[in-house]
Amino acid sequence: MPPGVGWWQTLGNLIMTLLIFQFVTGFALAMYYSPSPEAAHASVRHITYDVTLGSFIRGLHAWGSSVIVFVVALHTMRVFFWGSYKKPREVTWLAGVVIFQIVLGFSFTGYLLPWDQRAYWATVVGTRIAATVPLIGHQLLVFIRGGEEVGALTLTRFFSFHVMLLPASLMAFMLAHLFLVRKHHIAGPVEPQKGPPVPFYPNQLFKDAIVLLVGVGLLIYLAIAFPPALEAVANPTGTDFSPRPEWYFLGLYELLKIMPPGWEVVAAVIIPTTVTIGMILLPWLDRSRSRHPAKRQWVIFSGIAVILLIGLMTLKGILETPPEHKAASTEAVAGKQTP
Amino acid sequence: MDRNMSHEETNPDSIQISRRKMMGVVVGVINLGLIASVVGPVIGFAAAPLGQKRKQQWIALMDEKLIGPGEVKEVTYSLKIVDGYHEVEQMYTVYLRRGTDDVICIDPTCTHLGCRVKYQTEHHKFVCPCHGGVFDDEGNNKSGPPPKPLERHPVKIEGGKVWISRDV
Ligand code: HEM
Ligand code: FES
Repeated sequence: MPPGVGWWQTLGNLIMTLLIFQFVTGFALAMYYSPSPEAAHASVRHITYDVTLGSFIRGLHAWGSSVIVFVVALHTMRVFFWGSYKKPREVTWLAGVVIFQIVLGFSFTGYLLPWDQRAYWATVVGTRIAATVPLIGHQLLVFIRGGEEVGALTLTRFFSFHVMLLPASLMAFMLAHLFLVRKHHIAGPVEPQKGPPVPFYPNQLFKDAIVLLVGVGLLIYLAIAFPPALEAVANPTGTDFSPRPEWYFLGLYELLKIMPPGWEVVAAVIIPTTVTIGMILLPWLDRSRSRHPAKRQWVIFSGIAVILLIGLMTLKGILETPPEHKAASTEAVAGKQTP
Repeated sequence: MDRNMSHEETNPDSIQISRRKMMGVVVGVINLGLIASVVGPVIGFAAAPLGQKRKQQWIALMDEKLIGPGEVKEVTYSLKIVDGYHEVEQMYTVYLRRGTDDVICIDPTCTHLGCRVKYQTEHHKFVCPCHGGVFDDEGNNKSGPPPKPLERHPVKIEGGKVWISRDV
């Protein structure tokens, strides 16, 4: 390893560990889970309240998804500011961008599985976003939902993606990513420091281990201190439920809120797609030889603008969360909200 | 490849090479065929719901006398629908509003992103809990992000009952 590698380079390892936790706990949950509208809610209730350690396993899995999204975001920013996506590491970055999308896909599909009010309504609204796409919007919506409305086929569809397609693709891209990281080595500081290469063992390994301890420790703490809730079973009749997405989709949700009528496609599709395409093309857009932030100002500037936009919108969403809902997400209360 | 044939024929090595190339191409084509033979049908299979046909059905909601002029009522009804692989009794909510003489039926699905709007009797308006869309008591969008009025279902009064029609 080049000299100057440090704490910031431990995040990838943490993500991998958390993903393995997700695989193991997901595999365990699937033993008790049943993906049908009649059984899903009851099976998750069974997992949460009857099965030995059920609340803990489900807590690890549900909190795990939040922690992963958070750490993936940190890791992506780290790579961005270090300019580590530059030649010869373009494809490594590309695999990373795909992994980011897959992780969000996992969260979106997993969120529906408990089939409670929160799950159901978040999916009604989340899938409706597809309908804002011009021309093929409605077909896209029906394809994603498996029908006109969110129902039995939405659940089996999401389950199938969540436990088959996404894990398999994640595995493939993760292996590619790791292989490429090893092949090209880690990039080190933006301006190479003098000195001989430093060995991974023991200093960096030790840092990695500390970060794992903190990351996984936090996850276990969250799973125990804030056991996962289950709201009332999904009820399509409800006119008194106010749906809210997970915190990491709140930014998008707030963006949708401030769009003038008829412009939702901008917030729902155009902005996220532009950001994603920008991320994909980044290594080719940013042609400067140097990795130093001062030498690629407009890239850094656009990056900060995007991060600020997402950050502020998310913050706005968190601040505007009605108090009733904060209670609902930490306690198992029935889905009655005041409008 | 054809163009180089005559030249290559004189050289056993390049015949070897073009043979190799040819076989490589054939293997590639076979592989593409294999992928297409599974991915194609799977996409068709997954897209099956797109071919679903819905048809209109009339449903008797309630006694006509139960709703007075100027009143807006939230009505819940149940309907047998086919949900994928099974038939279920599904509950739905609509709002009925009686004007001076006619009755209209307003669907509570917000035209923005599909949350269910709630009627506020004291303010005579529908409010969406998601992004704060507001509609008047006839379902016309007044403020917030919703791009168009709430959808209406056709209504008829027959045999003293209010009927609505919807896609099933
Ligand atoms: C092989 C990998 C995985 C399998 C087999 C799996 C399986 C499952 C199962 C069976 C459920 C339903 C039980 C429940 O709701 O508690 C579930 C829920 C969920 N999964 Fe996964 N999962 C996997 C990976 C992931 C990953 C990588 C993420 C996120 C990055 C994720 C995010 C979620 C979320 C957010 C839920 C809903 C949690 C809740 O509200 O209880 N899953 N998963
Ligand atoms: S869904 Fe009703 S205002 Fe957005």
